Formats: sequence, structure tokens, C-alpha cells
Amino acid sequence: METTAGGRTDWINPACMLLLALIGVAFIYSSQAYSGNDFWVRQLVWIGLGGVIYVVLGRIDYSIYLANAFWLYLIAIFLLLLIYTPVGMEREGARRWLNFIVLAYQPAEAAKVCTLIMLASVLARSELGTIRQSLWTLTKVFGITLLPLFLIFTQPDLGSCLILPPMMLTLLYISRLSERFFIGVLAVVIMGTSVVGFDLYQYSQFLKNEQLTALEARGKYQETSIFPLRDYQRERIMTFVAPEVVDPRGTGSAWNSVQAQQAVGTGGLTGKGWGNGLQARLGYLPRSVAHNDFIFAVLAEEAGFIGGIFVIGIFAILLANGVRIAGVARDRFGTLLVAGVTVIFLIHVFINVGMTIGLTPITGLPLPFISYGGSFILSCCILQGLIQSVNRHRRRFD
Amino acid sequence: MSKAYIATWRSRLFMAVMVAAFAVVFVRLYDLHVLRGDELALEAQNNRRSVIPLEGRRGNIVDREGNLLAGVRSLVQVGVDPYLFTAAHREKLPELAQILGLPLAEIEAVVDRRFRQGSDGQPGRAIRWAPLAVVNDEVYDQVRALGMRPVYGNRRYERFYPGGSLAAHLVGYVNREETAVMGVERALDFYLKGEQGWREAELDGRRREVVAFRAREVLPRDGYHVELTIDQNVQSIVEQALSRLAETYDPAGATIIVSDPRTGDILALGNYPSFDPNHFNRFPIENQRNRAVTDVYEPGSTFKIVPVAAGLEERLVRPDTMIDCETEVVRYRGRNIRLPSDTSRLGTIPLTRVVSRSSNRGSAQIGMMLGEQRLYDYAHAFGFGQPSGWLLGGEVRGTLHPVRNWDGLMISRIPAGYAVSATPLQVHQSMAAIANEGVLMAPRIASRILDADGQTVLDFPSAERGQVVSAITAERVAEMLRGVIGPDGTARRAEIEGYQVAGKTGTSRKIINGQYSNRHHVASFSGFFPASNPRVVITVMVDEPRLPGTGYGGLVAAPVFKEVGEQLIHHLGIQKPEPTEPLFVAR
Repeated sequence: METTAGGRTDWINPACMLLLALIGVAFIYSSQAYSGNDFWVRQLVWIGLGGVIYVVLGRIDYSIYLANAFWLYLIAIFLLLLIYTPVGMEREGARRWLNFIVLAYQPAEAAKVCTLIMLASVLARSELGTIRQSLWTLTKVFGITLLPLFLIFTQPDLGSCLILPPMMLTLLYISRLSERFFIGVLAVVIMGTSVVGFDLYQYSQFLKNEQLTALEARGKYQETSIFPLRDYQRERIMTFVAPEVVDPRGTGSAWNSVQAQQAVGTGGLTGKGWGNGLQARLGYLPRSVAHNDFIFAVLAEEAGFIGGIFVIGIFAILLANGVRIAGVARDRFGTLLVAGVTVIFLIHVFINVGMTIGLTPITGLPLPFISYGGSFILSCCILQGLIQSVNRHRRRFD
Repeated sequence: MSKAYIATWRSRLFMAVMVAAFAVVFVRLYDLHVLRGDELALEAQNNRRSVIPLEGRRGNIVDREGNLLAGVRSLVQVGVDPYLFTAAHREKLPELAQILGLPLAEIEAVVDRRFRQGSDGQPGRAIRWAPLAVVNDEVYDQVRALGMRPVYGNRRYERFYPGGSLAAHLVGYVNREETAVMGVERALDFYLKGEQGWREAELDGRRREVVAFRAREVLPRDGYHVELTIDQNVQSIVEQALSRLAETYDPAGATIIVSDPRTGDILALGNYPSFDPNHFNRFPIENQRNRAVTDVYEPGSTFKIVPVAAGLEERLVRPDTMIDCETEVVRYRGRNIRLPSDTSRLGTIPLTRVVSRSSNRGSAQIGMMLGEQRLYDYAHAFGFGQPSGWLLGGEVRGTLHPVRNWDGLMISRIPAGYAVSATPLQVHQSMAAIANEGVLMAPRIASRILDADGQTVLDFPSAERGQVVSAITAERVAEMLRGVIGPDGTARRAEIEGYQVAGKTGTSRKIINGQYSNRHHVASFSGFFPASNPRVVITVMVDEPRLPGTGYGGLVAAPVFKEVGEQLIHHLGIQKPEPTEPLFVAR
């Protein structure tokens, strides 16, 4: 099969990526203008590195992942386990990083990519149909997903956990698993939500009865509950669902959300102009998150509705183009890979922008190519590299 | 694309989910940016905006010569940033400890503590500056000379009282919350505190001011200075006398008042026990009481100037009128009234001797000559039972019952200073009226309000409260009061050599458990000199001196009068009178 024709390279996605990355650098610079940090320079370095990886991965035929999926998956699990060795690094109460001296790497990023490849490889080799017929495959798929999910959950990194199940479900869906299964999943989700809802109701009653603020109650309710959520996680979800219960004055856990929405509102239609936003500059958006998790708030304040829609539009093009490529893949493995990547990006964009504008709870999911962060830039480039590879090695129509 | 590995309708559903996600984001962005943009922008702006108050410097309190009684000093709160601390800095810690006068271990503990205690037992926010000590500029210069970058200070202003306990009851104090609690500080707080200024500014997320965004600034106005009528030296003399008094007699309390009879200016006013306003919280709260105006006692014999002056004014008696002080029972308005006893048999003596020997029976008979209403009117006119006009507040009016409430005995008791109660200041002012040709003055404690350039902003003029008796009567009473200090009088110990002193002793028994006690007394002496041209009035009141016997007024209080008076001669430059003036006038 012909694989090297230059004309087959997709230029839409790399153009979108570059544009997003440069916008990201500009607003990382802006978000740190007051404190004078130079993260934007580091981000440029990461982008350069990510670009190289993207080009290389785009040229490699993705079939080698199909052959080596199991080993890649093992490496990812190994990296996740490494966190519990002295190489693991703890920051703000969470062990999410591996300390490789020159860089702190989040193995959860590798786990997303490798789990995707592993799932795609398994599903590409199996026929799915009714639930009864697919039982063994389903068991494997669940096992493959739950192992990294569990390891990431214990770090804990709730945000990264949110990626895996939708990705798995999407891949199953594309693999033509019976609708009944998804109806079942929907039922389970609704039940799970009710159980969490009940737990949170108990939690809010506990706060009310004990006359405690959410901050004072931290660590107290979880001792009495059989439900395996930490109190700070309850607090975060409550902050989203009912901020008046856990943070009536908006100065505690709801602070970031309130300030981010004010930043967005301040931007208005056209924004205050690059470098003129005050929410990040004066530290209302906390300095520790303004340049990564809440970079969209900075952008929205300074570039306004127009700028925000522009960026969202680029993401839409990026994802739609991904769906298009999924449709032209030469095999089911390719289709599954691209669809999985698209879902990962969709969740990142939706949850990150969503938490800035009050649509989703606050979880630490960064905005692809725009948020500051080395591991994540590399991950995004690797994932997009997979899409490019699928595109370059697609079926031939001529 | 018919051969795609994805069913068309499944692909469409997948696309539909994506489109829905983007649509929701779009709508929400439109809502926040465009529909609610102004509202949210206003919220954000209100979060940032802040009005920062700027405090004016509190004015000084000075005495009549301009000596500082209360001022403001600048101090430096020295602290340390634990994060800037290096091993090189640690080597200098012993030196720092020595300069600050703190134990080394204490400083090390502060330096090593980098986090606040979080509410959940976890380390909380980082400590970027921890206070070590409050020092003056001199010590702070030494600290800076060490060249330790993490150790630096913030300037702050603090009220201080250079005289310590000097005139504490008059000056008062300002507490740690900058609230004026008592004395001049409180009474004239309006002038002293100045006007607050403010600055509109924007705050950052940690509520610190962003200097670049200062919008408007209104400067504060410093407080005015207050000049008192007090003379620091006289006050000092008085307080030394008080502490000697306290040492010798261990009284429950004591008060000395010195004033100028012509103007009513209080030159000094001291109480025992006292306190140091710099460290007000280290003293019992009752030490803060200005007993001169808050405590009442039965004045006893010092009150006799009232019936005597009234009798002369009403031409009922003359200085040489003979009064029978042997009589025990007098018929008054159809009733037999038993007179109070005297300490010794005096026989029939002229009025002059009734005064100098302080005869209770003599005064009682003068009181009966006056009758209830006139006696009441004169006592009232002399200021008893009413506020004296004390500027600093806290004054009680004492008790002078209206005539309708008198029982049958009071006409014989009040003239001797019983069944009536008064503050030391009221007794002092009544004596000052005799010294001031019969004119009762309001006590004057503050003389002027001054601005920063020393220009007078407001005057507190002397205030006359009324002519109580004629100048001639006052002069006659003064002459008779000179006899008290004479060889035959009750207060020989008040004599000041070369000067004519006029005054009156008082010894009253205190009421303990509803009965007049034989052991608890109030000893007092109130007098003035030179008698012919009075310059100062001095009142000494000692509550419960620990001493056996009676006659305390002459024994305890009179020597203090002499002690204070003699020192005032030099200080105030009081001239000796013409030597030709007779010592005794007995017509």
C-alpha cells in the first residue's frame, strides 16, 4: 500500500493546532504579566518538541500500534505504578507526577493514549453484536479500562478519570455493540447519579446539623460515609450543584468558579484587549491556575465573545475534521483510534471551557494546546499524530 | 465513504452529540459575555474597589508651659520572612537576638515556622512575614546594620505618655483600639483625633492595594493639640506629696488639688492610687478613678466656712460676736435640739475662735440663726449638691438635701459638715470662692485648642459661677481662717513661714455599716495663701489614714498642705506680703 505520498497529508489539523498553540502562548504570557513569570517561553519549547513528535508519529504507519498494543499498555500501567516508588512526586496532596529530574511527567497522560490503543486493538480484532455474543470481549474491554482508571483514581486525579469511560463507551458504540447495552449503561449512570445525589444530600444535611462550613467539615463526613468519595470531592461537586450550601459567600471553594465567570462577563462582546484583563493580573483568578486550568477565562476576558467563539470554532474544525478522517480510515483500528482521540479532545474542551463558564464542575482538565503544561502538550501532539498517521495511511480511492 | 467502518446513523449520532456540546458552550458564552456581561463586569469591579481609611496623627496634650503630657511616637514592628532566610542569615541570629533582647530560641522558632496552621491540621497558607518585636528607631537602625534582607519592619504610630503616671487621671488614655477611654483624651477626643482621610483604590485577589490603580485620595487632617491649665512641675510636686502620704499613712485613697483662685485654673490634681496610662492594663481598674470628682464624703469642718460666711453676709453675726459653746441643748422653733459635741470645753468664745477651734456647737448655733432655707441656699450657692462644671466628665454632684427632706436634727448637723456629702473638688471650689472675693469659679482644666502651627483654634475661658458672698464677707472669713493656722488653731502644722495662710481642717467620721465609725475617718485640709492676695488654693483629702487618735485634719492633711505650699512659693514666685500687715485682726 502506498504510504508516502505528500499530497495525502492533512493540513487542516496541524494548522488548527499551531493556531491554538500560539494563542495559548499569548495568553499564558498575558496571564502572568503581573507576576512576571516566563512560562510562555517554556511552553514554546514544549510546542517545538510536540511538533517534532507530531511529524514523526504522522509518518509512522499506525499498524505497528496494533501489533504492539499490549506492550504499550503494559508500559503505561508500569508508569502508573511507578508513582508509588520514590520517583513519584506529590504536589498539593496528590501523587500524580513522576520526577524525571528535567521534567515532571504525569503518567495518566500516557495511560490515556495507551489505553485507547489497547482498546482499539481489542475491538478491531473482535466482532461485537448482542451483549450475549460479546460477553468475553466486553469483559476484556472493561478490564483494560478499569485497571488504569483505578490507578488514576487513587492518585487522585478525578479529571483524568472522566476521560476513560466515555472513550470506552464511544469505542464500543462505534464497534456496533447492541443498543441495549447503552440503554443499560444509561440506566446505571442514572442510578449512580441518584446514589451520589443521595450521598450529597446526606452531606449537606450533615453540614447543616453540625453547623459546620464545608472547610471545617473536611475529612469529617467521609469517616461516617460508606461511599468512597473524599470530602473535598463532595465539596467540589456541591460547589457546582449548590454553591450556596458549601460556600455561601463565594470566597471558598466557589471562588474560582465565581471569579472565572466574572472574567468572562467582563470581556463582553469584544474583550478588554490583550494584556488588559484584570481578573488574572490582580490575582482574582488564582495565579496557580490562571495559566493552565483557567486559561480560557483569561482569554474570554481579554478577547471577549468574539475571541472565545473563534477559539471554540477552531476546536470544532479540529474535531469535525477528526470525525471525517475516522470515516476514511483504511481499517477499523484506524477508525477506532481517531474516534477515541476525538472523544478525548471533546471531553477536554467541553469540561475545561464548561468549568470556566459554570457548565461543569471544576476538575483539573486542561484545554488542549492552550493551557500551560508540558506533559499535556506532548500528549495532545501524540494523539493528533495518531490521527495524522491514520489519515496518511488511509484507503486509496484512486 | 460508503465503506466506512462506522455505521452512518451511528456516525450521525456521534456528530450530533458533538454539535450539541458546542452549541451549549456557545449559548452559555453568549449568555455570560453579551447578555450578562455588564452585570458581571460590575461585580468584578466592585470586588476590586475599596476605600482605604487614612488616619490623621492624634494631637498632643501639653501643660500650660507646653510640656508634653501625651504624644505620638513612631515605632517599628520588626518581622522576618522565613522564605528569604538562608544559612548566612542564621549565623547572625545570636546578634539579632541580642539587639532585640529576645531569647535566641524564640527567634529560631519564628524563623522555622513556614506555614500557618490549616483548619484541617494540614499546613495552611505560607507565612511570608512573622512579627518579632516592636522597637524604636535607634534599635531598628542597629537591626538594619546587620544587613539581613529577610528581617525588616513596618512603621506604626503609638500613643505614649512621657510622664508615665503624671496627671494620669486628667490626661486619661487611649486604648489599644485607638478609642479614647477617659480624661482629656476622651473629653476632647473630637479635637485630638483629627479627621480621617480616605483613598479609593483597587485591591488584588489577596486584598492588597494595587498602587497603579489609585483613583482618588483625600488626605487626613491631623488632630489639634490641647493645652491644659496644669503645670507639670506643680503636678509633680503634688504627686510626690501623695506618694509620701501613701507611704506614711497607707490610706484607702487621697486627693490633692491645687488651683488659681482668680481664674479657676487647676494647676495640679492628683489622686492616690494612680496608674500609668502607657500600661493601663497592668493596674486595677479602680486606680483609674479620679477620686477628686467621683468620690463623695462628708466634708466635716471644712464645710463650716458656709454657715460662717452666710452668717456674716446676712449680718447675723460679726467676727467678735460671742457664742456660748457650752450649751448642749438649744430651743429651736419650739423644739429642744441637742447640739453636737466638741472635742474640748470652749466656753463662750467670739466667732473668730469658733472658727479657729472648729467648734461644732458654735457652727450649729449659727446655722440655727440662719434657718433651714438660708443655710440651704448658701450651701447651694457655694456649689454643694451640684456639678462644678468639670470638663472631663465622671463627676458626681454629692448630696445636699432640699429643705423639705430635712429631719429635725439636720439644722444642727449640716453646719458642721455632716448630713451633707461632697467631692473633694466641691470642697476645694467653695474654699476658692472665699479666696476669690466671694466669687465661685468653675474649675478650668483645658485652656486652649491649638493647631499644628501653635495658633489658637479655640479658647476655654474662665467661667464665673456667681457671687456667693460679698468681697468684704469673703475677706473677713479669710481673716478668721488665718486663725486656724495660728497658735490657737487646729492646723498649726499648715503654717508656711513668712506667709499668711488661711484654711480649714476637716475630720469626718465615715459611715461604716450604717453607723458613724470611730476608726474610719476622712482627714482634710483646704486653704490658700497668701491670705491677703491669694495665689493658690490647695486642698488635701486623705481617706482612712491608718493612725490612732483624732484630729486628723490638722495632723495628717495640714502638713501636706505646708509641704506642697512651700515648694510652690519658689516655683510660682509667690511674693511675701508687706510686713506691716497685722498677723491677727480681732476687733
